[in-house]
Amino acid sequence: MSRSHRDAVWTPGSCAGRRTALRSAVAGSLLMPGIVRQLLADAGDPLAPRMPHFAPRAKRVIFLFMTGGVSHVDTFDPKPALSRDHGKEIKADHPEIKDRPGYERIYLKRPQWEFSPHGACGTEVSTLFPCVAECVDRIAIVRSMHTSHSNHYNATLGMHTGSFAFSRPSIGSWVSYGLGTENANLPGFVVIAPRQTYAGTQVYAADFLPGAHQGTLVVPGAEPVANVAPRVPADRQALELAALAALDRDHLAVRGTDPLLAGRMRSFETAFGMQIAVPDAFDLAAEDDATLALYGLARGQTTGFGWQCLAARRLVERGVRFVELIDTGSSDNWDAHGDMATHVGLAKNVDRPIAGLLADLARRGLLDDTLVVWTTEFGRTPFNNTADAKGREHHPWAFSSWLAGAGVKRGIVHGATDEHGLRAVEKPVHVHDLHATILWLMGFDHERLTFRHAGRDYRLTDVHGKVVHDLLA
Amino acid sequence: MARALAKTWCGMPKSHPSERYTAWAAVLAAALSIPAPATASDGEAFFEREVRPLLAARCLGCHGGDKAGGGLSLDSRAGWEAGGEQGPAVVPGEPDASLLVRAVSGADPDWRMPPPDHGPALAPAEVAVLREWVRRGAPDPRVGGAAIGGMDRDEAAAWWAFQPLPEATRLPTPDEIDALLGAALAERGIEPAGPADDRTFIRRAAYDLTGLPPSPEEVEAFIADGAADKDTRLVERLLASPDHGVHQGRRWLDVVRYADTAGENTDRPLPHAWRYRNWVFDAFAADLPYPDFVRLQLAGDLVPAAARSGRNDGIVATGYLAIARRFGHDIDKDIHLTHEDVIDTLGKTFLGLSTGCARCHDHKYDAISAHDYYALAGIFASTRFAFPGCEPKGQPRDLVPLEPEPDLAAARAAWQERVALRDAERARRDAIASRAQLGEAAREDARVLAAGTVAEGESVALAAAGPIDVALGAGQVVVLAVAAGGNHGADSTLVELSIRSGDGAGVWSTADVVPRLASANPLAYGGATWCFLERSAEGPAFLGERRDEIDGQPALKAWRSGDVPSVFANTAAEPVAVWTTLPAAALFVHPGPDREALLAWICPRDGSYRIEGRVADAHPAGLDGVSFTLSVAGGRGYGALLAEAGQLAATPLADPGPEPMLPVAYAVVEGTVHDAPLHQRGDPEKPGPAVPRRWLEVFGGAPVPGDGGSGRRALAEWVATSPLASRVIVNRVWQWHFGTGIVATANDFGARGTPPTHPELLDRLAAGFVAEGGRVKSLHRAIMATRAFRRASTVGPHLLEADPGARLLSHFPRRRLTAEEIRDSLLLAAGELDRAPAEAHPFPPEATWNFTQHGPFAAVYETTKRSAYLMVQRQRRHPFLALFDGADPNASTPSRQTTTVPTQALYFLNDPFFHRRAEAFARRLGALADPAARIGAGYRIAYQRPPTAIEADRAAGFLAAYPGDDQQRLAAWARVLLASNEFLHVD
Repeated sequence: MSRSHRDAVWTPGSCAGRRTALRSAVAGSLLMPGIVRQLLADAGDPLAPRMPHFAPRAKRVIFLFMTGGVSHVDTFDPKPALSRDHGKEIKADHPEIKDRPGYERIYLKRPQWEFSPHGACGTEVSTLFPCVAECVDRIAIVRSMHTSHSNHYNATLGMHTGSFAFSRPSIGSWVSYGLGTENANLPGFVVIAPRQTYAGTQVYAADFLPGAHQGTLVVPGAEPVANVAPRVPADRQALELAALAALDRDHLAVRGTDPLLAGRMRSFETAFGMQIAVPDAFDLAAEDDATLALYGLARGQTTGFGWQCLAARRLVERGVRFVELIDTGSSDNWDAHGDMATHVGLAKNVDRPIAGLLADLARRGLLDDTLVVWTTEFGRTPFNNTADAKGREHHPWAFSSWLAGAGVKRGIVHGATDEHGLRAVEKPVHVHDLHATILWLMGFDHERLTFRHAGRDYRLTDVHGKVVHDLLA
Repeated sequence: MARALAKTWCGMPKSHPSERYTAWAAVLAAALSIPAPATASDGEAFFEREVRPLLAARCLGCHGGDKAGGGLSLDSRAGWEAGGEQGPAVVPGEPDASLLVRAVSGADPDWRMPPPDHGPALAPAEVAVLREWVRRGAPDPRVGGAAIGGMDRDEAAAWWAFQPLPEATRLPTPDEIDALLGAALAERGIEPAGPADDRTFIRRAAYDLTGLPPSPEEVEAFIADGAADKDTRLVERLLASPDHGVHQGRRWLDVVRYADTAGENTDRPLPHAWRYRNWVFDAFAADLPYPDFVRLQLAGDLVPAAARSGRNDGIVATGYLAIARRFGHDIDKDIHLTHEDVIDTLGKTFLGLSTGCARCHDHKYDAISAHDYYALAGIFASTRFAFPGCEPKGQPRDLVPLEPEPDLAAARAAWQERVALRDAERARRDAIASRAQLGEAAREDARVLAAGTVAEGESVALAAAGPIDVALGAGQVVVLAVAAGGNHGADSTLVELSIRSGDGAGVWSTADVVPRLASANPLAYGGATWCFLERSAEGPAFLGERRDEIDGQPALKAWRSGDVPSVFANTAAEPVAVWTTLPAAALFVHPGPDREALLAWICPRDGSYRIEGRVADAHPAGLDGVSFTLSVAGGRGYGALLAEAGQLAATPLADPGPEPMLPVAYAVVEGTVHDAPLHQRGDPEKPGPAVPRRWLEVFGGAPVPGDGGSGRRALAEWVATSPLASRVIVNRVWQWHFGTGIVATANDFGARGTPPTHPELLDRLAAGFVAEGGRVKSLHRAIMATRAFRRASTVGPHLLEADPGARLLSHFPRRRLTAEEIRDSLLLAAGELDRAPAEAHPFPPEATWNFTQHGPFAAVYETTKRSAYLMVQRQRRHPFLALFDGADPNASTPSRQTTTVPTQALYFLNDPFFHRRAEAFARRLGALADPAARIGAGYRIAYQRPPTAIEADRAAGFLAAYPGDDQQRLAAWARVLLASNEFLHVD
C-alpha cells in the first residue's frame, strides 16, 4: 500500500504535536539514519495501515465484555410472562441440568428487577441499568443472542475468537491484522482488564496471526503497560539510545539492506515514543471535571470501570483500532449461581461509566465512526431447580447484547426470545453472526478476511456467520 | 424433519440428461428378464453397466466428491454403508428397508430424491435399477472409492512425498550436497557468496548446535587453530556438549507443542511432564536412532525392556502422547478433542500430514479420509492416558509408576532425618525467641512515649509539644510502631526518627539507616542496633525477607514479610516513581492488615536521650490513614534477646528438600481395547459405525494385529519405518540449520504444502539417513561440513535479489536469536547462567490444588537455568516467551516467527530482568582494573570479537560522558551492547 493511499483514507490522530516533535528530535539526529526509513518502505510492516474490503462504517471498536454471564431476563429482555408463571414447572433439554443431581425438576423463576420504557423509542430496560436506560435511543439491543457452549471457558473463548475449544486469534487481533494501526506509538489492539478472565490470555491472543496483532494488556493501576516506565532518567536514556543507534548503524552499514535489522532499529524509536504516548494516553489530568463526572470518576483515580471507559475513549481518539474492556475477572463476577443480588453491585460498577462513555463519544463526534459493543458470554437461566432459588444457572440458548455508534440503527430492538426468555426464537443471532456484523461494520467481508495457517485458510467465523443487516443503519 | 432433510439434500445438478435413460430403460427391461447373476462379478458388471452411470448422472452431483449432502456420500461402498445423518443409505438385499430406494421412489412424499427443486423424479425404470441392485445385495466394486480424502488414488499413489526412498548406503557427502545445491544456483547463473570468517563461523555453529554463543577463549582458540580439520573438530566438540541435547531437544518440544499444564479449563499443572522433556533432551544428546526415538514416543511402554536405553525410558517417552492438550470442564466429556489433538500432532510431527483435518469430514486436499481418522482414533481410544485432574474430577490419576532408584529407601530415611533436624532447630529457636516470648518480654518496663494518628496526606510530629526526653537503660528498646486504619491499602508511611544521647556523644537517625537498610536486620550501627519488625496479636517477629529492589527499582530496598508489612527505603538521591512518588533518601514503613510495622532501636548505654521525628503519609489515595505509637519496651535484657532473635531469624532453617517419592510418569499405557465409531461430521453425539483400527489407507491400510492390544505398537512401527517420516525429520534438521527447510512447510508435505526446492537432495538425505541408522548427529555433521553452511551472510544487493530469502543458499540467511537464546545469552553475559539440568517445577503440592475455571492455575517461575526449562503454561503464555515469538504450547510449531514489535524494544529499555543482567555483566567488567580491558571484555563476551580501535574509542567516550559512578556507567554501556542488533542476530 502506498503512503499517499493510506493518508487519503486515514486521518492521522489529532494529538500528535508533542510526540511528533519528540520523535523528530530523536529520529532526525540519532536513531534513524535515512537509509533505515527507505528500507522500511519495503519491510512489510505488519502494522502498516491497510484498507478494508469496502468503505467502513466504523473505524474503531470499543468492546465491553461483562464476564461471568449477565442475566438477560433481569436486564435488557423484559419477560412479564416469566413473572406471571413464576414457580411453574417446565421441561427443558438443557445442557446445565442434564444428568445433574437435584435438577430432575425445574421451575420458572421471575425477574427480580422492574422494567420500564425509556427514551423516545420506549425500549424497556430494568432498574439494574438506570443510566444505560437513558441511552436507549442511541443503541440497538439484540435480545436474540445465542451461543454454542454453556461453560464460561468455552463460551468466553467463543465470544472472543469464534472457536469454542481451540485457541484461535481474537477478534481484536483479526481487526488489527485487517487494518493495521493508525498510531505507531500505540498498539492497535488494547485490552483493559483488572484481572484475567476465563481462558486467560487466549481471549486476546494473536495465535497464528503475526505476533504484532496480539492484544496489549493494560491493567488499571500505577504501571498500566509493562516496561513503559523508564528505569533511567530521560537524559541518560537518550545517551544510551544514541550509543545503541551508532552501534546498530555501523552493524547495518557492512550488512547492506536487511529489513530485519532496520525494522528492529526503528522499533526503538517507536518504543521511545511509547514511553511518552502510553502514559499520556492514560493520564487523565487534562480531563475537565465535567468529563470525569460523566464517567463517575474522582480526580486522581486510576482504577475502576469508569477509568477503563475514559481510557478507552482516549485510546480510540489516538487511533487504537480495537479496545476491549473487561469489567471483572474469572471470579467475583456476574456468575450469580448463589444469589442474583450480586448483579446489583456489578451493574452499578459499569452503568454510569458506560452511559458516560456513550455521551462523551457522542458529544465529540466520535460515536459516528466508533462502534460500541456490549456483551457477555451467555445469559442466565429463567428457571432453577426450586422456585425460590436465589441464583440462576448458565444459559447459552439466549442472552442480550447491544451495539451503538457507527453504522448501527438507533433505538431499536432486534430479535426476541420466547415468552419466558428460554430460547431465542425471533431472528436469532449467533456469536458468529455478531462477529460477522462487527467485521462488516469495520469494512470486512468476514468470509474474505482470512489467514493461511497449517494448510488452511482460517477466519474469525470459521465456516459460519451471517451479517445481521437489520442492525445496520 | 422433512424440512431439515430437504435443506441438507441440496445442490442437485440443474440439468438432467434424462433422455439418455429412456434409451437404456429397454436395456434394463432386458436385464431384469434374465436370472439373477450367480457370481459377484456378474453383480459388479450389473453395477458398472446400470448403476454407476445412474448414480453419476442423478446423485453424485450432491452426494459425491467433496460434497456429501446430508452427510451422505454415494461415491464409494463405504459411503453408502456409513450413510448420512439418517443412517446407512442401503441395506443390501432389502430394497424396502433401504433409505436410498425409499427416497428415489417417493415412498415418503416429504423427502423425495432428488428434491423437487432439483429436478424431476427418477423414472420408474431408473428406480427399478436401484431396487434391483439393492435386491442383489448391492454389489459395489468401488471399495474405498475413487479417491482417498481429497486426492484421487492415482494422484495419491504418485504423490512425491509418498514415494519409496532411492537406494542408498550412506548419507551424501558434504561435497555431494554442495553439488546438488550448486546445480540450482548454476541454473540461475548465481555465483554464491564466499566463506564466512572463522569468528562468524564459530558463533554460527555454536548457536546452531547449543543455542549459546562460544566463550571468548573458545573463539580465540578456534581462530588460532591452523589445522585443516578445525571445523570438524569444532562441530564434534559442540555435538558432544550437554548444551546440545537441551537446545536440539527444545526444537523438538516446539514440534510436539510441549507444555507443563494440561490446558483444560483450570489449566492444571503437569508436575511429571518434565520427565518427558528431559528424556527428549537426553535422547538428542545420546543421538538415539530416530526410528527408536519415534517408537518410544508412540509405544515405549510396549517395547521390550531390552530395546530401551534406560529402565524407565520407554514409559517416560510416551509422555509425548500424554502431554496432549485437554479440553473443557470435564476432560472425559471432551476426550474426542484430545484424541484429535493427538492425531493432528502425530500427523504433523512425524508425517507432515494434517491428519486432524479429517475428524469432521474427509480431508479436503490430502489423501486422508474420515475413516482413516477414526481408524487411528480407535487406537488412542484404546490407550489409557494419564489424567491430570480437572475441576469436576479432582486430582490426577492413571499416572504411570516408574521403577524407583535402588536407593529410594535410603533417600527417604535421610530425608526424614533432615526433617527431624529442622523441626528440632525450629523448636530450639522458639524456646529462645518466639513471638509470644518477645511480646511478653517487651511488656516489662514498657511505657508509651507518644501516640497519634496520621490522616491522609498529613505529616505528624511524634510529640506535638516538641522533643521527647527520656532516660533509658542499656539494652532497653525504643519502638516506633505504625498500624493501618480500617482500610489497609495505600499505607506507605514515611518515618523519621532521631535519637540523641544527653551527653551529645551519640546521634542515631533514620537518615543513617536509609543507605544501609538492606545490609542486615538487625542492623548494628554506631554502637546501637536497629531492628525491622512486624507485630501481630501474638507478638513481634523479624521481617525476614530482604528485597534489593522493588518494582524493578534498584534504589528501593526493603525488609518485608510477603508484600506487607514492610520497612523500606528509597536510597536514591532523587524521588522514585512507583505506586506513588517516593521522596529521595527516606525510610518508610507499610503496615499490613492486623500487622503493624515496627522500627526498633536498642539503646547502647545508660543515659538520657532526646527523641524527635515525624510520621507522614507517603501515598495519599483518599483512604483512612494510619496510627503510630512510640514506646519504650522491655527491661535491660530485652535488647540482647531481640538481637539474638534477629540473628536466628536471619539464619534460615535448613531446607530438608522435597520428599523422595515413588516416581511416576505422565505417560500412557494400554486401555480398554475397542474400535472407535465414526462421528458424523465430527459430532460425538452422532456415532456412526465402528471403524476397524488400522494404518492410513494411502499407506496400505494394514489392520492392527489381532493380539488384543490397542495397535499402538504396530502404529509406532508403521510411522517409524515410513519413508515419509524420514523425509520429514531430515527436512526439519535442514531447517534447524538454515532457517527454512527444503520443504518450507515443515509440518505439511501434503497438497497444500510447499514442494521441495531440492527434491533430489531431500530424497538422498532421507535415504542415507535411513541407511546410516537414523542418526541425527550424522546429519548435523554432513550439513555443517558443506560449503553452503560456511557461506557468508553479508552479501551485496545482487545476491539478495537473485536469491530472496536465501532459499537457494547462495548465502547464509541471517537470523535473530530465538526467545530462549536471547534469555540464555543475557544470563550468560551476566555470568549467571546455570547450565545444570533442571527437573520438576516448584508447583504447589498436589494435595493443595483447588483450581477452578474461576481461579485457574497461574504462575511464572523465574530461574537461572536454561530457558528450555522454563515452565510453559497453555492458558497463559509465559510473558517473555510470548514477547519474543516463543513456541505455541497449544499447537505444533514447525518454525518460529520473527516479529519485530516495539514492546520488544521496551523490554530492552526498561525490563527489570534485562536491567539486572546488564548490571551483573557490568560487575563482571568492573572487576577488571584496566579501562581498555573492560571494553575489550565487553565486546568479546557480547559479540565474540574484540572492538576495533574506533569502537574502543567510542566506548571509552560513552563511559566518560555518562553520569554516575563506575558501576552505573558500565551498566549503561552493558545495556547498549545487550540491546544491539549484533548481540541479537547470528550471521
